[in-house]
Amino acid sequence: MNSPLDSTVLFQIGPVSITQAIVTTWAIMAILVIGAFALTRRLDLRPTRRQAALELMVATLDTQITETTGAVPTPYRGFIGTLFLFILVANWSSLVPGLDPPTAQLETDAALAVLVFMSVIWFGIRAGGVGGWLKTFAAPNPVMIPLNILQNLTRVFSMFVRLFGNVMSGVFVIGIVASLAGLLVPIPLMALDLLTGLVQAYIFAVLAMVFITSAVEDGTPKTDLPLKKKES
Amino acid sequence: MTLDWWGLGLQAINVLILVWLLSRVFWRPVAGAITRRQQAAQAMLDEGKTAQAKADAALAEVAEARAGIASERDAILVEAKAAADTVAKATLKDAQTKADSLIAAARTAIDRDRNTARKENAKRATELSVEIAARLLGRFNTPAVQATFLAQLVEAISGLSASDRVALIASADDIEIITATNPEDSERAKIERAVKDALDGTPNVRLVTDPSLIAGLELHSGHFVLHNSWRADLETILKEVENAA
Repeated sequence: MNSPLDSTVLFQIGPVSITQAIVTTWAIMAILVIGAFALTRRLDLRPTRRQAALELMVATLDTQITETTGAVPTPYRGFIGTLFLFILVANWSSLVPGLDPPTAQLETDAALAVLVFMSVIWFGIRAGGVGGWLKTFAAPNPVMIPLNILQNLTRVFSMFVRLFGNVMSGVFVIGIVASLAGLLVPIPLMALDLLTGLVQAYIFAVLAMVFITSAVEDGTPKTDLPLKKKES
Repeated sequence: MTLDWWGLGLQAINVLILVWLLSRVFWRPVAGAITRRQQAAQAMLDEGKTAQAKADAALAEVAEARAGIASERDAILVEAKAAADTVAKATLKDAQTKADSLIAAARTAIDRDRNTARKENAKRATELSVEIAARLLGRFNTPAVQATFLAQLVEAISGLSASDRVALIASADDIEIITATNPEDSERAKIERAVKDALDGTPNVRLVTDPSLIAGLELHSGHFVLHNSWRADLETILKEVENAA
């Protein structure tokens, strides 16, 4: 049994090693994009069951974004929703025999964490400008600047490690049990892995949204509303 | 365990591309469909509100028209009532006039009928009086009364002109002496002799009895009548009374 921590290199393009995780990611991308294109070709004012299901999914995502952050979901829908869908499908790709999920590899999870880190910066600067984003590090007072910088790094790192640890451990456990006990014994563990994959995708997406919203809210200049005089 | 930085970067690029692609082919179209439906629903709601507003305005207009109709109806009723009152007053006045004229005509007719009745009553009373007088006078048809009437007849004949007496004697018809009772022969002869003496001649004299004469003696010839009886007197009185009435 190979170590799940090892990446299986399928071929090499220059200095870039194309691993199985990358190829699986491409396959997932293709499935998602082609499937989305096929599903959204004919959208009408009178929705079919398929369109209603798609709209329910988007509406649920918008509701989650709104309830979690209180923000308008439009700017974040594409990034957060894609993160959730990709991680979910990647986690559940472990059900395909002989296929390791891309999220069980360090590079994929680290890339996702780096994207979240960059998106926090991007949305923070877009909301309050560079100055406003930098001020978020001095909140609530400049003394907290080192701690805030450290927090920005560690929280992303924790996301990366959490996702990687959960998915990798699931694959690892299933591999051990399958090698020891036989073909049908890992099935309950695989079912549990489905749940774990869903929960991890949800947690990753929600945490990304929370971090982005935190940067947006802290960087937005606050206006002092004048006190209204009571008319006597 | 090592971290492949090239792999990390490639995966990051892959996810970014996926984010871009899914935003294009999935999130935006579906969100756009939701937005379009919301806009369509909002448009329908707005249209419904507009229709509601139009309906409310139409309802208000109908209510206003109804109020106008009601006021117009009241005005028409008032006008009709006034016209009816005018017509009723005119009709009442006309009826009053007619009634007054009828009353006046009736009073005139009553007066006329009363006068007629009064005249009729007076006439009947007169006739009754004459009749009563005739009956009463009938009881006094005594020989003395008869002698008085004979004297008055002789006097009346004597009062005639000579030519009248000659014409009376020369008349071809008999001279009739009308008496109320059938006189006895002596009386009859006395009457005939007195008449002939008064006429101064010998005409044919014939005595005729007529009880309606009551009392008296009358001389009738073909062209001459000499009244001398209570019946003639009563008839004269009756005519005079009627003429006086």
